[in-house]
Amino acid sequence: MALRPIAPLPAGARQKLVLQREISRLLSPLAVPLMGIALRCALGYRIENLRGFRREYRRICLERDGPLIICANHLTMIDSCVIAWALGSPWWYFRHFRTLPWNLPERSIFAATHYRRMAIYALKCLPVERGGNRAEITEVLSRLAHAVSNHEVALIFPEAGRSRTGRVDLNSAASGVGRIYRCVPNCRVVCVYLRGDHQDGYSGMPVRGERFRGSVSVIEPKTNYRGLRASRDIARKIAQRLVEMEQEYFDDRK
Amino acid sequence: MDQTEIFEQVVKILNPYVKNQDALKGISLATHILDDLKVNSARLVDVVLEFEDAFDIEIDDDDVDKVETVGNAVELIEAKIG
Repeated sequence: MALRPIAPLPAGARQKLVLQREISRLLSPLAVPLMGIALRCALGYRIENLRGFRREYRRICLERDGPLIICANHLTMIDSCVIAWALGSPWWYFRHFRTLPWNLPERSIFAATHYRRMAIYALKCLPVERGGNRAEITEVLSRLAHAVSNHEVALIFPEAGRSRTGRVDLNSAASGVGRIYRCVPNCRVVCVYLRGDHQDGYSGMPVRGERFRGSVSVIEPKTNYRGLRASRDIARKIAQRLVEMEQEYFDDRK
Repeated sequence: MDQTEIFEQVVKILNPYVKNQDALKGISLATHILDDLKVNSARLVDVVLEFEDAFDIEIDDDDVDKVETVGNAVELIEAKIG
C-alpha cells in the first residue's frame, strides 16, 4: 500500500502544534481530572467495565510504540470526552500524555466563544469546519497526521458527524480517516464502540446518569486500491468494524 | 473527448447529489459544487469516484481538494485524460 503524505506541514504550523501540546500537557493535571469529575459527578455518567476498557487501551498503547488512531461511533456532542475518560485515568494520561487523543471538534459549536476556544485548546483539540473550505480542512488533517506520525494518538469519527440514524452508517464514512491512516506508516486503528443505554438516536448530550457500555478492538486495515479510492476503502473497513461492534453491543443487550 | 462533453458528463454525474435543483438550471463552469449546488461535502468523494469510473482515470486525495467548482472538475478530468 503506497504511503502518501497529505501535505508537508510548514515549520510555523509544526511549532504551533508543539506549543499547543506543551500547554495542554502543563494544564492536563488539572484539565483531565476536571473533565472526569464533570462527567462522573456533575452528570452522573458511568461506564460499564471501566477497568476493562482502560486495561485494554493500556495494553494496546504499551504493546507497540507506534502511531494510533482511535475511531469511534458518534452519537452525542461530548463523545470524545466520554471516550477519553473511558480509555484512561488522569494518572495514566499524566504519565503517558501522548495517549490523550487529539480531537477534531466542529468549530461552529466548540470554538464559538473565547472560553470554549481556550478549553478545547487545552484538551488537544484542532477545531475544523465540517463541509468548509477544503484547503483549510486539509491543513487541519495535515496537522493531525503530523501529530499521529509523531506517535501522538488521534480520535476521529469516521462518519464525520453524529449518526442521524442512530446506527453506524457505512455510507457516511468519509475518506479523511483513510487519508491520515495511509500517510502514517505502521499505524493501527483502535475501534471504540460506546453507547449509552438510553441513547436511541443522536443527541446533544447523553441523559443525566447515563450508563455507557461498549467495546474496544484493534485493526490494521489494508487495501488494494490506490488514490482516493484507497482512502475511502480504508474508511469503510474501519466503519465496517464499528458496525460489527454495534451488532455485538445489541446482541449482548438481548 | 472535448470540454463540452466532459462538462455534460460531469453535470450528469453530479445530478443525483445536488440538493439545490434550481442551481442546476443555470449550471456553468463557475458553479460552486458545495456552495451553489449544495452537494454534501462527504458525498463529494462519491462524486469524484464516479468521475474515476466514468472517465477511466485515477484521482489522488490531493486532487479532490482542488475541486471546488464544476470548472475545476472539468479541468482535472481533462488533465487526467491527457
